[in-house]
Amino acid sequence: MTDPSCSDRPILVVAGLTVGFETAAGRVMAAEDVSFCLRQSETLALVGETGCGKSVVASAIMKLLPRNASVRGHAEFAGRDLLARSEKEMAEIRGKEIAIVFQNPSLALNPIIRIAEQVAEPLQVHEHASRHKSIKTAEEMLHRLGLGSREAHMYPFQFSGGMNQRAMIATSMILTPKVIIADEPSHGLDAGLVDETMKEMMKIKEQIGSSLLLITHDLTLARRFSERMAVMYCGEIVETGKSEEIFNKPLHPYTRALLDCLPERGFHPIPGSSPSMINPPAGCKFRPRCPHAGERCMKRPRIVEGAEKDCDREVRCWLY
Amino acid sequence: MSEAAITGKAPEVIWKSKSWCIGFILFLSFLLMALFAAEIAPYDPWARFEPYQPPGSEHILGTNDMGHDILSELIYGSRASLLAGFGAAILATFIGTLVGLAAGYFKGMTDEALMGITDIFLMIPQIPLIIVLAAFLRPSLYLIAIIMGLLWWTSTARVVRSKTLQVREMGYVQAARSLGFSDPHIILTDVLPNILYVIMPKFLLAIASAMIAEASISFLGLGDITMKSWGMMINNAFNRGGFINGYWWWYLTPGLCITLFVLCVVLMGCAFEEQENETMRLQ
Amino acid sequence: MVALFIIISMNFIIPRAMPGDELTNLLGEDVTITDSTIVELRHEMGLDRTWTEQYLDYWWKILHLDLGYSFHLHSDVSRIIVSRIKWTLLLALPSILLGAMAGTVLGALAGWDGRNAGRKIQTLLLLAVYCTPPYFLCLLALYLFSFKLDLFPMKGFYITGSTLDIAHHVFLPILVMTLFSLSRNYMIMRGSVIQEKSSLYAAFARAKGLYNEEILFRHVFRNALLPIITLLAMDFGFMLSGALFIEIVFSMNGMGNLIYDSLLARDYPVLQGSFLIITIMAVSANMLADLLYSRFDPRVKW
Repeated sequence: MTDPSCSDRPILVVAGLTVGFETAAGRVMAAEDVSFCLRQSETLALVGETGCGKSVVASAIMKLLPRNASVRGHAEFAGRDLLARSEKEMAEIRGKEIAIVFQNPSLALNPIIRIAEQVAEPLQVHEHASRHKSIKTAEEMLHRLGLGSREAHMYPFQFSGGMNQRAMIATSMILTPKVIIADEPSHGLDAGLVDETMKEMMKIKEQIGSSLLLITHDLTLARRFSERMAVMYCGEIVETGKSEEIFNKPLHPYTRALLDCLPERGFHPIPGSSPSMINPPAGCKFRPRCPHAGERCMKRPRIVEGAEKDCDREVRCWLY
Repeated sequence: MSEAAITGKAPEVIWKSKSWCIGFILFLSFLLMALFAAEIAPYDPWARFEPYQPPGSEHILGTNDMGHDILSELIYGSRASLLAGFGAAILATFIGTLVGLAAGYFKGMTDEALMGITDIFLMIPQIPLIIVLAAFLRPSLYLIAIIMGLLWWTSTARVVRSKTLQVREMGYVQAARSLGFSDPHIILTDVLPNILYVIMPKFLLAIASAMIAEASISFLGLGDITMKSWGMMINNAFNRGGFINGYWWWYLTPGLCITLFVLCVVLMGCAFEEQENETMRLQ
Repeated sequence: MVALFIIISMNFIIPRAMPGDELTNLLGEDVTITDSTIVELRHEMGLDRTWTEQYLDYWWKILHLDLGYSFHLHSDVSRIIVSRIKWTLLLALPSILLGAMAGTVLGALAGWDGRNAGRKIQTLLLLAVYCTPPYFLCLLALYLFSFKLDLFPMKGFYITGSTLDIAHHVFLPILVMTLFSLSRNYMIMRGSVIQEKSSLYAAFARAKGLYNEEILFRHVFRNALLPIITLLAMDFGFMLSGALFIEIVFSMNGMGNLIYDSLLARDYPVLQGSFLIITIMAVSANMLADLLYSRFDPRVKW
């Protein structure tokens, strides 16, 4: 099950990723049969409501999930399946080839260690650089993101959320990874700051030539900064395609409803409530809330490639 | 979910913890031993038999130099040791909770003043002070317990205070205040139940510390001679030739008892703390 | 500083406020003196002056390090204390330091990954040590190693005075003390690490590519250490009381035994002097604790 537009230069191919959690309340299917691919130097946005499983997918790829998670499927990177690699091998890849920026910058940084040292850490750990040199490089990177040398030697608790976010971005890019996963980079930042930070990040990303997997619930952000987009609902990918195209002509009923929620389109809320991840609806997960639901929707829809003559598009819906 | 976990669900989960179960069973056994000492002990601990007997069929743990049956001493000794431990712990926890609640709830000047007093008490070297007071006053077991209680409330106070500060800012407390409920009422009905999970481990650990302290004082010969606590038994062993002559049965068992009791109390305390951590994590 | 003042004053007030004759309380019960000497002594000790004058005199003496005279031991209290305290330091300092280093590292490793059987047994054993009354363990150790196995001498600091001899004598006491210090640090560090390891910064460190123990020692260890720093500083302050029981059981002539003997002999000047020293050490340790903590945790300075 692959993305048709990925025939050229794929760098990360996720196929059939399924993640389940054993909890006291039951088995939670956080992600089901997720497949997408990330091409070289492109930005792919993974969008969806909070709790639809986007962050879980990111953590699953990096093998950062807790022990009670069961992961199935494949994530191919540089010719090998990440999910099959050992912890030691993953430790060498993380931070160096694939970097991830967490959602909560102020908590993700160690409060009692200086920023510059934390940003320099990947250099010390992966390339065994000297402390002096690595801090110098860290300072340069922080400078590019707008944080001077005085700030570089301060502590995270003295920083605002935006500054911490930039420090995390600096940490993730310092070893020029091939893939950067940004989990909700706009979280907790005001609109102006989001724009600024994203622009900086994209600039550096262009310079080092990496791919970006942008995870966000902010559709406008996704549209502005990504070339392609994948829409997730209740742990499944329901639509994939070029961002601009999806915005102009959304195919999946959920995508349509999601876009209708935007202020510029009228602020129409989606009827019904988000389904439970422990007892999801049978068949198509969006069926209870879909205006076009029919009998055949009791069966889980298959993915249609090249729907509506858009060769880049994929939709999981019986309508096509 | 957080409110529910705080206000009621937690006790059920604790039974799943292994350390709690083991600790609790041991605890209960000691408690029963103390309560039913008269029924369990084979002889009256003050009754005299042939002295210096090694462990045998008639006297399972032998007799000491005065001819007292050691097993009976051990069983009755649990009363004294537990009494001292519980007494001191109850007093310390009571004072500590009061101080902590007041400081955390009323804040401001009350807080500053109370914390200042707490700091002073914290700096007093406790064991030497107890030793000095014991030497000067030659107190009874009850007085020893009271003195220990008066010295140990500080750590409870600190912990209660920080938790009170936290709980005070929670929604339901703010709501109660805005509805005009009196402060004492709020403290009793809203704040206190949520602090219980913090107080319990401190209480248990206080019992442990008090027992070891009482044993230590008795060991020095400053304890209450009229009550044969486990510590006194070890003191007797040391001072009356039991140790030099290798009569291990004189002191091994009381020592083990103290260790076991402290162990079970610590286990229970740890279980509580683990529990608290879990609740915090899930939040 | 206020606390120090209060406690030193308490030291002044207690013997005078205690039941019984002040002179007896100040000299000790073991002293026999004639009636005329009593009058002389009262005058010398200033007991026939007003309390205010006595109080000022008391402070003056303290600042001049004159802690009184022990009639029981026939020497200045300050001199007695100085000669004894170095032995206690010999026992206590290595134990505290070793116990701190070993305890924190082992505890951190146990907290980080306590799944294998070896670690579990280790934790259980150290828990048992932690719960044992200190002197009981000393008794057992003494019995086992000195009495039965005859590996180490039973009492005193030295016979010949040579370094090796001293080392031979202090080995067992230091071992037991270290074990205690270790067990306490171990339990607390383990708990602290267990709490810290589920934090987000530990997860992020892993996401940066740090592997296993690297995460522990580069990040979690520092954060988990914070609550212990205060405890360790206080250890230094309460060194003397900590060594007390060990000295008594092993019959070593340090400050601990001094206190014990003077207790039995009711030699109050020595007791008071020792108590004063202990208090001063405790208060200084408290200040050290605050200082040290603020150095390690940058959040506190602000």
